[in-house]
Amino acid sequence: MVERFLEGWSVYKENLIGKIGLTLLVIFALMALCSFFPPMIDPMYHPMTGVDPQISHATSPSWRHWLGTDFIGRDILCQLLAGARIAFMVGISAAFMSIFLGTVVGMIAGYSGKIVDTLLMRLADMILVMPTLLVVLILSSLFGQLNIWTIVLLIALFRWPGVSRVIRAQTLSLKERPFIEAAKVAGASHFRIIFRHIMPNVLPLSLLYMTFRVTSAIIIEAALAFLGFGDPSTVSWGMMLQWVWKTGHMFQAPYWLLPPGICISLLTLAFYMLGRAMEEVLDPRLRKEVAQE
Amino acid sequence: MEVRKFVLKRFVEIFIIFFVILTVLFLLFRLAPGDPVTRMVDPTLTPEDSQHLIAQLGLDQPMGLQYLYYIKNFLTGNFGNSFHYGETVSSIIWSRLPNTIILFTTSILLSAFVGVFLGKIASWKKGTKTDTWMTLGALVCHTLFLPWLAMLMIWIFGFKIGWFPLNGMISPEIWMDPSSGVWLKILDVLHHMVLPLATLFSIHFGSYLLLMRSSMLDTLKEDYILTARAKGLEEKTIRNKHAAPNAALPVVTSVGISLAFSLSGGALTETVFSWPGIGRELVFAVSNSDYPLAQASFLLIATVVLISNLVVDVLYAYLDPRITY
Repeated sequence: MVERFLEGWSVYKENLIGKIGLTLLVIFALMALCSFFPPMIDPMYHPMTGVDPQISHATSPSWRHWLGTDFIGRDILCQLLAGARIAFMVGISAAFMSIFLGTVVGMIAGYSGKIVDTLLMRLADMILVMPTLLVVLILSSLFGQLNIWTIVLLIALFRWPGVSRVIRAQTLSLKERPFIEAAKVAGASHFRIIFRHIMPNVLPLSLLYMTFRVTSAIIIEAALAFLGFGDPSTVSWGMMLQWVWKTGHMFQAPYWLLPPGICISLLTLAFYMLGRAMEEVLDPRLRKEVAQE
Repeated sequence: MEVRKFVLKRFVEIFIIFFVILTVLFLLFRLAPGDPVTRMVDPTLTPEDSQHLIAQLGLDQPMGLQYLYYIKNFLTGNFGNSFHYGETVSSIIWSRLPNTIILFTTSILLSAFVGVFLGKIASWKKGTKTDTWMTLGALVCHTLFLPWLAMLMIWIFGFKIGWFPLNGMISPEIWMDPSSGVWLKILDVLHHMVLPLATLFSIHFGSYLLLMRSSMLDTLKEDYILTARAKGLEEKTIRNKHAAPNAALPVVTSVGISLAFSLSGGALTETVFSWPGIGRELVFAVSNSDYPLAQASFLLIATVVLISNLVVDVLYAYLDPRITY
């Protein structure tokens, strides 16, 4: 296991895109960690409730507020740091759930075949063609303001079909291998075969898809918050952009408009690059291409 | 013959999917907390008018009958009245649909063509600086946050430089003026369309570029490319006539798969640019709890996705004769 990881790492670190992606991720992870400190220094640096008593409108960067303040005098840098935490939380938890669901459904569909397969895959097709953002919008109009965990859950529920298709294809080919046959003869239950023998073989692929799901989860949450349907008790980057837009500061306050957008774009880029580099580690066919260069 | 059978099968499948979506939407609107009557009937109507509307939508009937009413109303295009506009929902939707289709189709076609073209070049120059920069550029463009890019476009090209209008689709002074001709009006719409189009284009062409590049690299390993080389054909001919058409096939499929994603993006773009399309109407309706309008616009968007998927499938069946169904 460790050897495999080290081997993968040695391929990974040769990859330019992978290195850029990982560096960016480390920077954002540090930002998320730093978000805990400013409110401890002074309550006015709290991203949501902290208001600078001397400021009641948007101000440009100063020593007191390195990135300036928003329309009611909250510190933009603190909001940006808190946003990093939310983005990681949303991205990773939604991606983990959707990957879990997609992997299990894919394995069950591929392993069982027949009617179960057909039904699960038709369901996957159906969800796949639905624009997730718009579905979540409709649901939030019906069920009122959604909190951040409901949003995460909904994103997970609508983003599994892509993964399950890939995992199903992989399972179909694994099913024909001798070791599965051997397990069957040895009397292993279906449950055991799926989770003990098939799962370890599809997990690397699931992990790869997880990086792409993180990207899409972050984008969907940000877009939702931007349109005004985010969780009002959290400060996400999408929310910050909504404040810039709705309060009409778009043209006057570039110090406020630029940072959240750059952060969302770079974080999704980082995960996307991570995924593409991992693809090369997992797929020797792609790897050879790189070696030839 | 085979193709026709396949198309028919897809048609039936899509019809079933659509029916399921219709039913789920019905159930959601009835089961959500709150009273479906207040949700579907404008609270500002007079008692007689609202009685009339309740009867028309079948809201005073039991669940099963309500469902039949719902299907019937859907088939006849009767979605009730919008709370906000006061007009019938169908008239609002029909006036918005062309605007969405214009923006959406243009952006998809443009980004697919440019993406395929650039991807072809990148794959041909694989390993060189050109390739590295193109791949990186495509990755960066593809992951830009769409509403933010839209705001940047407005801020830079609309506000700072002032080349393009800040938002909307037409300038009223040109359209109200009886002396302005058709061409002037078309030019005016195009002028308004540049920024939203550029935004959608930047987001989408990157993914087509990357896809075309990797697909092209796969194709170049095929035996028929070796044959073409052995025949002594020019590199340019091999690239454009032998490799590219085959490599472009996966891009066609991906257009279909990414449609849902593109439509979400379309809604965001329309909202930021105040482009009077279906996506903006949906966002607007959801923000204002205008349920009849929200329901209908969502159904229409789902229909657009499904029909476009069908079109892509059929196109693929004709483009790739190797595939047997």
